[in-house]
Amino acid sequence: MTGAEDISALRLAIGYGLLIFPFAIILWYRIPLAGTTLLSVVRMTVQLLFVGLYLQVVFEQNSVWLNLAWLAVMIGVADFSILRGCELKLRFFAGRLFLALLAGTAIPLVVFVLLILAQASLSQAQYVIPIGGMILGNCLQADIIGIRTFYESLRKDRKAYLHSLAQGASLAEAVRPYIADACRAALAPTIARMSTIGLVSLPGMMTGVILGGAEPFSAIKYQIAIMLSIFSGTAITVFLAIRLTRSRSFDEWGVLRADVF
Amino acid sequence: MGPPAIEIDNVGVHRDGGWVLRDFSLAVEPGCKVGLTGPSGCGKSTLLGCILGFVRADAGRVVVDGSEMNARSIWSLRRRIGYVAQEPDPGRGTVEEVLARPFHYRANRSLAGNLERVPAWMERLGLAHALRRKAVVDLSGGEKQRIALIAALLLERDILLLDEITSALDRERRASVLQILRECPATMLIVSHDEAVFAMSDHVVEMRPPEPSS
Repeated sequence: MTGAEDISALRLAIGYGLLIFPFAIILWYRIPLAGTTLLSVVRMTVQLLFVGLYLQVVFEQNSVWLNLAWLAVMIGVADFSILRGCELKLRFFAGRLFLALLAGTAIPLVVFVLLILAQASLSQAQYVIPIGGMILGNCLQADIIGIRTFYESLRKDRKAYLHSLAQGASLAEAVRPYIADACRAALAPTIARMSTIGLVSLPGMMTGVILGGAEPFSAIKYQIAIMLSIFSGTAITVFLAIRLTRSRSFDEWGVLRADVF
Repeated sequence: MGPPAIEIDNVGVHRDGGWVLRDFSLAVEPGCKVGLTGPSGCGKSTLLGCILGFVRADAGRVVVDGSEMNARSIWSLRRRIGYVAQEPDPGRGTVEEVLARPFHYRANRSLAGNLERVPAWMERLGLAHALRRKAVVDLSGGEKQRIALIAALLLERDILLLDEITSALDRERRASVLQILRECPATMLIVSHDEAVFAMSDHVVEMRPPEPSS
């Protein structure tokens, strides 16, 4: 297995040269995106440079604690992104969402690294960091969809929800259809991706493994394992995110609290 | 003599800088049918919300069957109350599914046999049998009200809270609903502007809009 070809700074500059096409379109049609695009390209470059430098250290050390610290930081950033994306109050939900993301990422990651890849520990940064990152990225997306669907449908169907309570439902019974809706919405993108994967484009992990020099059949096995891990992780995190935030979102009388939004 | 079925004791609800219900008191004896009327904004629906625990009273207390309503008692008290809203939203699904849904709740499972009475109730209320397979979202306001009433009757609650139950009904349907309410032994608090409802009520209470805060 040979590693991927390194790209020199000069040759990377050719990559920046590709920007000439979008910028030509933006400038020609006077689309007000030039500043934003430039800023985004600069931000991407600087952020990735810092991440690259940090990961260089993490990969050299191969320390379980350094890997876990990196994942914790990524989960923290994802936590804030979800709260911002769902317009929920930080003080109510930050801790609970962190736990939901942690469980959704850690459980499939441990299975993947320790059982499927048969590594002795979580010290191998080359596995833990990218696989953890892929699972977490999907958990983040699923949580945003799931939590938003849950609370928006509860707000929209407030009368139907209260009708259930008036008919003698417990809180768990009254929110059950909304949890089902939220899980369905959150899991749908991964289910759709699983059913079309490989037909439309080569998925990210498979591409990475092939670029790393592995045989396509070996890459496919990685891709299957990561898709199963992602699907499992999204199911775990969405269920926990709703279940853990639920106890804060309703008052003791079963009414959705207005001050959580 | 036992306690009143519903006791409202100086209840006040304060929202957005003003009182929407203030110093309101009422006692409804078991089996009594009380009509509740008054101009828009006098707090009639808010009062029903307080009795159901959907609106929190900022002053006073609500007592149902001798139990004061609080965060602990509300869950069991709701299981003694049936509610039909002015514009009910019984949730998604067909009429059949909506009527069966409350019997999946643990509190109502023992009453699931009452679903056999659905055809008889539908006939009495002028609802065609074919309506059972229709989606609730496609029903008219009057049909939804009657379906919500059937759901409340099937649950055999001791207390019924009815909000403008006849407002969307024609004369014939209204007569059927009033006859059913007359025969029903439950305690009732009926928000209405309908003289026919007041005629069948034991008492009628007129609510007034709360005085503005000084």
